[in-house]
Amino acid sequence: MVEMRGLTKLFPVRKNWKQILTQPFTSEMQTAVKGVSLSIARGEFFGLLGPNGAGKTTLFKMLATLILPDSGMAEVGGRNVVSEPDAVREMLTPVVPDERSLYWRLNAVENLRLFAVLQGLTGRVADERVQRSLEQVDLTETADKMVGQFSSGMKQRLLIARALLAEPEVLLLDEPTRSLDPLSARAFRAFLRDEIADRQGRTVLLATHNPEEALELCDRLAVLHHGELLATGTVSELRSLAGDDVYRASVKPPVGWTESQLWGREGAHDVALDPEDESGWRKLELRVPGGAEQAARVLAVLAADGMQVSRFEPARLTLAELLERIVELNQPRPDGTRNGADLALTEAVATVPDPDRSARG
Amino acid sequence: MGTVKLASARVGALSRAAWLSATSYRVRILVSIVGIVLSIIPIFFVTDALQDVVSDSINTESSQYFAFAVVGMLALNFVGTAVTILPQQISSGITTGTLEALLSTRSRLPVLLAGLAAFPLIWTGLRSLVLLVAAWLMGAEVVWSQLFPSLLVVLLIVLAHLPFGLMGAALILAFRTAGPLAQGVLFLSAGLGGVYYSTTVIPSWLQTLSAFTPLAYGLRALRRMILRGEPISAVGADIGVLCLFAIVLTAASSAGFVVAFRYARRAGTLTQY
Repeated sequence: MVEMRGLTKLFPVRKNWKQILTQPFTSEMQTAVKGVSLSIARGEFFGLLGPNGAGKTTLFKMLATLILPDSGMAEVGGRNVVSEPDAVREMLTPVVPDERSLYWRLNAVENLRLFAVLQGLTGRVADERVQRSLEQVDLTETADKMVGQFSSGMKQRLLIARALLAEPEVLLLDEPTRSLDPLSARAFRAFLRDEIADRQGRTVLLATHNPEEALELCDRLAVLHHGELLATGTVSELRSLAGDDVYRASVKPPVGWTESQLWGREGAHDVALDPEDESGWRKLELRVPGGAEQAARVLAVLAADGMQVSRFEPARLTLAELLERIVELNQPRPDGTRNGADLALTEAVATVPDPDRSARG
Repeated sequence: MGTVKLASARVGALSRAAWLSATSYRVRILVSIVGIVLSIIPIFFVTDALQDVVSDSINTESSQYFAFAVVGMLALNFVGTAVTILPQQISSGITTGTLEALLSTRSRLPVLLAGLAAFPLIWTGLRSLVLLVAAWLMGAEVVWSQLFPSLLVVLLIVLAHLPFGLMGAALILAFRTAGPLAQGVLFLSAGLGGVYYSTTVIPSWLQTLSAFTPLAYGLRALRRMILRGEPISAVGADIGVLCLFAIVLTAASSAGFVVAFRYARRAGTLTQY
């Protein structure tokens, strides 16, 4: 449904006055999106995960035909975003995240009625679509209220209703819960999951910097950092690629034992030993590539060192930790090569259901 | 539904939304109407005092200086709206995100621009009508039978000045400022267009510049029709020049806007300040 190949966008770096005077003819470019290739299937709930400034919004605006890419290709339903923007807008609607983009002095019906006509609907069809959109976002009872008097959650729902008027095949959601309190955000996520994804079966692209939101909602995730696509896959796939070599243990080390003594033995590295807790045990975290057998060898080393071990198990990283780890793995070395699991992660494009996503059936 | 009908519906929907927004500020609407009526009171006394001084210079357009000045004010109001409305709408649309929402719909850009400009122009028309009626009640000689034909001249005045607004909007898209464009057009129109005095009384070298001012032709035609009751055929030459201004300026400003729009999409600044 949505295809991107080598999509790239550079923006000029804004010069200060000194640079304008001393280097008037030079220009420095900053990469917002770098060679992103993605394939998103029809009906998929796809997450773009990355910190602020990762390039998510720029990517979305290129898909919404509001920004022209510098190179690469993007298509929605087989239509090119550069050469066929009108056709793309027939299929894709971005949910503009800014509440101020609503007409605050109008009520919800008047807002939706305006955009229904702008989407090409008139007469009874427009009225029915407005009514249906209001029902979908559960705003029917407050439809006559001036939008300026709405809560942030209600405004967010109205923004979604506005986007749903055109019944787009693809919906772009750019951090839709950023201005919501935790309870409203949770309710809003439930609405996205139950109504938009499960019931209506729309293709949804969600940009978020909130890993838990992505985990709760998305079939697949792409991790974007400094404009680069670091990894793509289901949460399980990302975890198996980037996070299955982390182990956590509860230990009582012999006197004088330090973590540096374990570093490098049987492949163990990134060893960290926490201070004693109230019961006298200390948490040991380490990475052991090579699976369970290699981990068993490390455990034997610990035992040989006289370490008391009450627990030794693979860590189940939170999505935030996983994201951090993926970014870390992709940090370039001084020689320009990548660390660890590298770009092979981006090749993971399977669309199998993700067992980590317990909330959706 | 036909393309033209759908485009009209879209322009109508944007105008209706702007009307509902505007009328939700009831006090502001009231002050706007009362203000325009009050503004002509000093004009009445000043023009009355100067009637004998200027009567010779204005008599081809009006025998009464008060009516002459009121029609000048009215036309300048239209010019002001035409040159400022699109830059204002684009600028506020970028700030609030409304522009992004509008551009994300299936409406074409020219239709959106027409829709954004329509209500402010209609509102200026309503205010102008109130101004004209108030002036008439105060003694201005208005040939009401010529009101509808003279609307064509008003429309042409707007069409000849909207391109300056489009250029301003293009500058907003590209540079986030329209600079002194609107003020410059208004200053030149007021000074050289014959708003408060006939262009025949200004120095000859300024009269040469006046020949490049669309408002000069529009105002002359408008006054001759609505104040002297002349038929539209009598002002055909002025209407022809006004049409020429409208066509040339629309073509030039549309090209400029397309370039600016593409530049903003390339630079990524189309929907962000």
